[in-house]
Amino acid sequence: MRIVVTGMGIVSPIGSSIDQFWNAAINGNNGIGPIQCFDASNNRSRIAGEIKDFDPKSFLSNKQIEQTDRFTQLAMHAANQAIADAGGLEYYKPRRLAVSVGSGMGGFATFESSAERKLNNRSIPPFTVPRTMANSAAAWIATIHGLKGANLTCSTACSSGGNAIGMGLDLLRTGKADAVITGGAEACVLPLTIAGFEALYALSTGYNNDPQHASRPFAKGRDGFVMGEGAGILVLEREDSAKQRGAKIYAQLAGYGCACDAGHIVAPDMDGQVAAMDAAIQDAEITPERVDYINAHATSTPLGDVIETKAIKQLFGKHAKEIIISATKSMIGHTIGASAAIGSIAAIMSLQTGMIHPTINLDEADSECDLNYAPNIALTKPLNTALCNAFGFGGNNVSLVFSTPII
Amino acid sequence: MNTENIEAKVIEFIASKVEDVDASSITAASEFEALGLDSMDRVQLLFDAEETFGVTFEDDEVKDFHCVKDIIDYINNHQPSSSSSEND
Repeated sequence: MRIVVTGMGIVSPIGSSIDQFWNAAINGNNGIGPIQCFDASNNRSRIAGEIKDFDPKSFLSNKQIEQTDRFTQLAMHAANQAIADAGGLEYYKPRRLAVSVGSGMGGFATFESSAERKLNNRSIPPFTVPRTMANSAAAWIATIHGLKGANLTCSTACSSGGNAIGMGLDLLRTGKADAVITGGAEACVLPLTIAGFEALYALSTGYNNDPQHASRPFAKGRDGFVMGEGAGILVLEREDSAKQRGAKIYAQLAGYGCACDAGHIVAPDMDGQVAAMDAAIQDAEITPERVDYINAHATSTPLGDVIETKAIKQLFGKHAKEIIISATKSMIGHTIGASAAIGSIAAIMSLQTGMIHPTINLDEADSECDLNYAPNIALTKPLNTALCNAFGFGGNNVSLVFSTPII
Repeated sequence: MNTENIEAKVIEFIASKVEDVDASSITAASEFEALGLDSMDRVQLLFDAEETFGVTFEDDEVKDFHCVKDIIDYINNHQPSSSSSEND
């Protein structure tokens, strides 16, 4: 049974439609700047990939806005695009339409603002809990579109979106749904969250006066990730029914692999990453040599980018040098639970167009990062198989394999 | 703020919060149910009213609120006196 992607939607720091995002990505546009949404002058990391010009009033009523956190609003906007792009889902019965969304932090904007009010002995908004809960994005997507099948949420930190898409694949393969709206959403450019990642020394702090060069995966001088926000949503369905209803097919979601390090709660582990990529490739019933593009997890941390490079070399051997790798985070920062969904969209667009977006800010690579990362300029190469990596706190490793519709 | 002003401002506030209701039809006698406000909407409405009018609704006093006038009366009855208006 082949599962295919028939719709896509995105909200990102470099574009809030697929066309806008992809044109910006191919041109290597940079979405990183000084934090605008709160006064970050007391933070050590004062830069982020924020979404500009996002107006929830353009698609939500005042009441809906009051009842939703920003991460849910981003997810809904991306889902609206994806469902419209798929030509609507009226072909299927509502009980057969599922949702599977990932988010690392959930409605943390609401949590932080309500916590601040409570600590100051002020009353808190009555929708604090339903706005904060991690499954509110999935629930609202279902509510708006009448999707009455399984409604799942996955929270595996930075791999949440990848796991959610994999869970969507499983729902379709096991016959528990006919179509799945799936992906990830995150909106945690927030004082407490930024401070929390700062405390782990995970964020870039050396480029506050030069934000455009801060997110620099695989490059010399990288000093941590840059927080980003966004949402990416896919519509998945079985190839036979997609064809029957005349849907356009972007790509096949051919494989999903996941593995837990069961070691350190935050440190990456090469073996787990190899295991996830290997499992995804086996699930897709291909050999590693078939992979010709990797949308890397590549967050721009000193350790993470080296470990991922080593994992790719370990699994692919000599073929690793033939694979083109690129890091979407170089342009938008790390969108946490949305990152795998956005990376998947980039991978699918590469399969569609034969274009690979660059890894920007890569003038000089780290000596331990010695693969082809498409530095600074987009590449053109017909592709058949793309792999998208996502690794998260908790030792979670996820890989997805996408291929051109017919392989 | 005098009583008439409060009534006008509360009605204006309610009009900004309800959907699919003709704003000109809202009066002090309008009942929440007729304005399409379910129980959670009313909780949100009172929270927003606290922010807008600088009052604090006591739970046991608001549980029987059912119309716009209840909010108007509450605000009128909880106006700071002139001698303690230093924060107005």
